[in-house]
Parts: sequence; structure tokens; C-alpha cells
Amino acid sequence: MKQFVTSMCLAVACMGTLSAQTMPPQLFSGMQGFTFLPDGTPIPIWGYGWVSDGFITLPAPLLTYEEGEDVQLNFTNPSPESHTIHLHGLDVDQANDGVPGTSFLVTTGGQTTYSFSANYPGTFLYHCHVTTTLHLTMGMYGMVLVTRPDQTLFEGGPAYAEDVPLLFSDLEVATNLDPVGSFPFHDIRPDVFMVNGVSGSQLEAADRIIHYEPGQPVALRLGSMAYSRMELIFPAELNATCFMSDGRPVPSPFSVETLNIYPGERFTVLIEPDANWDGHITCNYWSMVDETLEGSNGLHVRDAALHISETEKMAIKGWPNPAHSHIQWSDGSALSVWDTFGRLVCVTDLQNGILTVDGWEPGTYIARFEDGRTARFVVSE
Amino acid sequence: MTKCIHNWAVLLFLGIVTEGIWAQQDVWIQKGSWAVGADLIPVIRLTADTAWADQNMVFRLAEDVGDALTVHNLDSLDHTWFIGSPGADDVAIPSGASVEIELPALAMGSYRLGLSDLSGYRLGGSSMLQVELPDISVDSTALYHWNLSDWSTAEMLSIAAGENPDPEAPYVPDQFTINERTYPATIEDPNALVQLGLGDTCLIAIANHGLMDHVLHFHGFHVQIVSSTHQPERVGWSKDTVPVLKGEAMTVQLVANQPGTYPVHDHNLIAVTNAGFYPGGMLTQIIVSP
Repeated sequence: MKQFVTSMCLAVACMGTLSAQTMPPQLFSGMQGFTFLPDGTPIPIWGYGWVSDGFITLPAPLLTYEEGEDVQLNFTNPSPESHTIHLHGLDVDQANDGVPGTSFLVTTGGQTTYSFSANYPGTFLYHCHVTTTLHLTMGMYGMVLVTRPDQTLFEGGPAYAEDVPLLFSDLEVATNLDPVGSFPFHDIRPDVFMVNGVSGSQLEAADRIIHYEPGQPVALRLGSMAYSRMELIFPAELNATCFMSDGRPVPSPFSVETLNIYPGERFTVLIEPDANWDGHITCNYWSMVDETLEGSNGLHVRDAALHISETEKMAIKGWPNPAHSHIQWSDGSALSVWDTFGRLVCVTDLQNGILTVDGWEPGTYIARFEDGRTARFVVSE
Repeated sequence: MTKCIHNWAVLLFLGIVTEGIWAQQDVWIQKGSWAVGADLIPVIRLTADTAWADQNMVFRLAEDVGDALTVHNLDSLDHTWFIGSPGADDVAIPSGASVEIELPALAMGSYRLGLSDLSGYRLGGSSMLQVELPDISVDSTALYHWNLSDWSTAEMLSIAAGENPDPEAPYVPDQFTINERTYPATIEDPNALVQLGLGDTCLIAIANHGLMDHVLHFHGFHVQIVSSTHQPERVGWSKDTVPVLKGEAMTVQLVANQPGTYPVHDHNLIAVTNAGFYPGGMLTQIIVSP
């Protein structure tokens, strides 16, 4: 049991921004968010978040439901443009489909409730369906997991120890910097390639590494909101088997060496890595237009028993940074904050990892968490 | 699927399918134009008679029964005919000539066929061969077809002028079509717009003639893959997001288990545009009446 609890904690840690919601869910849109490239460059994003003042994450919060659950998903749009939520793959009825024209728009200041039944366990997505070509590349997407209480993938399917949601996406920096000037849409060519909203060296942060306990299968929940075709290369030591696609069991599960994931597709792959293994799943991003290799990422997977250095334990991260009204920490439950003059600013508990900085003086601050880790962040006007 | 098997079994029993009543005897290659905004883009079409048609005809054949097809080339250029099945040879069709083509015996499913020379292919002379798929006139299982493609209109004008595209130039498609039409014209095409009653079943034959892979997302429904030329390992999969690879033909089955109007579109989102404008391109609808 102790091992299982440990692995669950690690699984949660490796989810990064895909943090589970507290029920009942109330999503808000936002159009003034930022994500940060590995070199620290801030990139504007649009998206969804749990709070009403525009604090959003990339990707949007993970939505989790149990099989058979009747879901009421509340959505409020305080942003200056209309948005929707399309529940991709959940086969919801027309009224709840989130498509302007056949369903309805949620205009500025509007709110609605999307209702549907989570009839099938599996991996699904959600995204805005307003001017979709633009709103997706701006970041308005997230993942939906429908799971079973007995921790099997589907009725009669294999049991597993933990879920690891992995949402692949990309963006074109020029479009995000100037969405109004992004026309023509057919010419969008991504140049940032992400897993759970981060890329490159960011995926080596301790909270992004997928840890496993030997003998306990890990369910990789793979979905793509990219413009690219994803190519995932699984080393043989992972013993990867694909059991599901698009929220349905595949008729014959198959071992996976290379898996292509096209935009909007999902797969559930169980890995049961060999003991003491430490390596990477290669994630290649191929252009859908001319089939050139545009980018690559490595997903780090390792045995939880392997040494985790103190440096990695210090890798707590906050975003957005600079922050305007809120900053979301990757983990931690309580912290103290000092300004650069060494003055204590606050001592507080975190709610869902969020620190409110609304009204703070612009400047640099140092956060010290209850376990001694520290992080520097900036509050902007 | 059970219903389809049942229907096909009945047809086989009655001897209807094996009589080859669906086979087309003749096809004409013609050059015309496609209105894209204010521009007229030269295109080639495969037509069922000498009258011009802005959409390519589709071909039907019984399972495991070969047949012959006479191709009449009304274009001023020579062309080359191909069938996207193993072992089928390309056939030269000189300008002004009529050439008999052998249609090989094939298993149930959808296949690409048409023109493989540069101008014949990139100006649009591509369609599909449906083998053993039910005929709506004799079977309650409806049948639709989606010929998919992507187009660079600048490249089409260049090819029509007799130029060869620069192989080093980036491909920048600006039009994306279902049955040679872009949304919203797609939903005026009875073969692209799927209209069913609640509980009905249909088959959709899909062929990707473009230079890109495309990936169709079905709102409201999962479909079951019935046949595939490039991904046979996926036959039997239930999917809401279906990659159709470059050069692939596949058949999917849809059961209309809820009423309403639902989009189907390419989830490579540059392909739901017309000359950069959203929405457009490779987008159609499924309408299920209560």
C-alpha cells in the first residue's frame, strides 16, 4: 500500500499543469495569459482556468469524471470574445456540442452549463470551437479523463496503478504574439512543440518526469491538440501496449514501438517498464503539410527507486511568471514570501496551489515553501 | 455492422451483387474550370458522359469480380490511369483516345483510382472505386462518399500553364475539398451531407487524393472502420477522429444513435479554411432526424 501511495503521489507530481479539479467544476475563459519558453521568453496565450479574473493555464485544467457520471460543467466567459467548450470525443448531443451555428456561443459576460453523460471510460479532449484554427493555437484546449473506480481501463480491461495524462500541442509564436494579424489561417506553421504545455529542457524538471514502480502498470493518456503529426517512439524496456483509442478499446491490444497520433486523436498505452530503467520516450512533431520533422521532445521515464537529487527536489515552478493577479505553483501547500529588501510579505496556505498577488507592488519576490524549497517570481502591473 | 453483413448476405443470395449491375462502362476525362472566389482555376474531372460535371464520378464494382472500363480522353493532353490496388498497372490514355481498362477483382472496400500524371492528378482527376458497398436504391443501408483533397491554387495555375512545380518550393495549400467542394458548398452535396433517420446505419467511402494526410473528426458519433487500404490493422476500430493517410481509401460505418446536426471536419485545422478564411474547407455535416 505504501508503494502504491508513493507512486500515486509521483504520478500527480508528473502531471505538471494537468492538475485535477475540485468538484463541482467551474471553468472560466481568459485571453491574457502567458506561457514561458525554456529560455524564459513569455508567449501570450488564451485558455481556461478555475478563477474568474483571467488566470489560465496551458493546457487548460484536467477534467476528470467517473464512468457513468452525469456531468454538469459550468462555464463563464469574462473575456472580450465569444468562446465555447467542445467536448471532443464524448459524443454529446447537439445542444452541448460547443459549435457555433449548430450549438451556441457563450458571449462576453455569458455563462452556461454543459450537460452530458460520461458513458465511456477513456481519454478525451475539450477545446474552444469558435474560430477554431486560431483559438486552438492560442491555447484553448485541455484533456478529459473518464476513469473507472476499480482502476481498470474498461470493463474487462487491464488494471493499472496510475494515470499519466500527456497532452501534445504546438503553437506558432508569431500567431500568439499577434493573433489579429495571423491571417491567413492556412499558413499557420507551428514552431514551439509541447507536452503538457512545456517543451525541451522544461520536461526535465522533477515534476515532469514520469516515475514508476516496477510491476505496477502506468496508463499513459495520450492526446494531441497539435497541428503536427505526433510520432512517439517507445523503447523496448517500457513494454508498452496500446489498449484504447478515442475512448474505446481496440479490438486487439498491440505492443507499441512507434505510435502516430494525429490532431484530435487519443490513445491509452500501458507501460510496465523493466526495473531500474531510466530513459526517454521520443516525441517527434512532423509537419502535416510537407512531412518534415519540425521538432522533438523527450519524455523522461524512470524507476521511482532511482536516486532523486536535491537539485531536482528544488525544481518547484510557478506560472505565469511574471504574474499579475495569481501565480500557480507546481506543488507545495504553504509558503512564505519576502520582497527583495528582505521584508516578509506574507505567510499563507495555498488553495489548489494558487497564490493571489492581486494588488501587490510590482517587483521581484522570493517564495519559500514549507519544505525549504525556494523560487523567485515577479509581480507585474 | 451486423445489419450490413445481413444486407450483403441477402443481396449475394439473390444474385444481385454478382451481376455487376453497379459497374460503370465508360468514363470521360474532361478539362474545365473551378470558381474559387473571383478566380477560375483549370481543373480536370472524370465524368459519366460527355457533359461537363464539376464533381468526379465514383465507380462501383461487385466483390471479387473483374470488369472493364473504357476511358475516353477528351483533354488536349495525354494522361495516365491508375488504380490504387496492389498489382494494378498504370495505363497510358493518349489525348483523344479511348482505352479499355481492366478493373481487377477486389475485396470489399474503397479504392482510389483516376489519373496519376502531373496535370491529371494535381488538377483533380481522382476518384474512388467502391467494391461491394451497398446501393441505397436496393439496400436500406445508405452509402455516402467523400473524395478528399488539398490544393494550392497557385500551383494549379502553374501546372495548367504547362510549368513543372519547383520541388524545393514549400507546399502552401489554400483550398481543402470534399467531393471537389469547399464548405459551405459541401452541405449542398447529397453525397457529402449525411442525412439519416434516428437508428439508421450508413457507410461512408472516403478517399484521400491530396498531398497531405487528413484526419476527420466526427462530432456526436464514433464510426467503425470497415475497410482501409493503408491501415488494415485498424479495421474494426471505433473512432471519432480518423486519420485518412495520403493515398488511402477507407470505408467507415456510422450508426445514427442520436438526433441532431453535427459537424464532421478535418482536425488539421488549417484545412477548415477557404483561402485562409474560417470556417471553410474540409467540413460537412451529419443530420439525424428524430
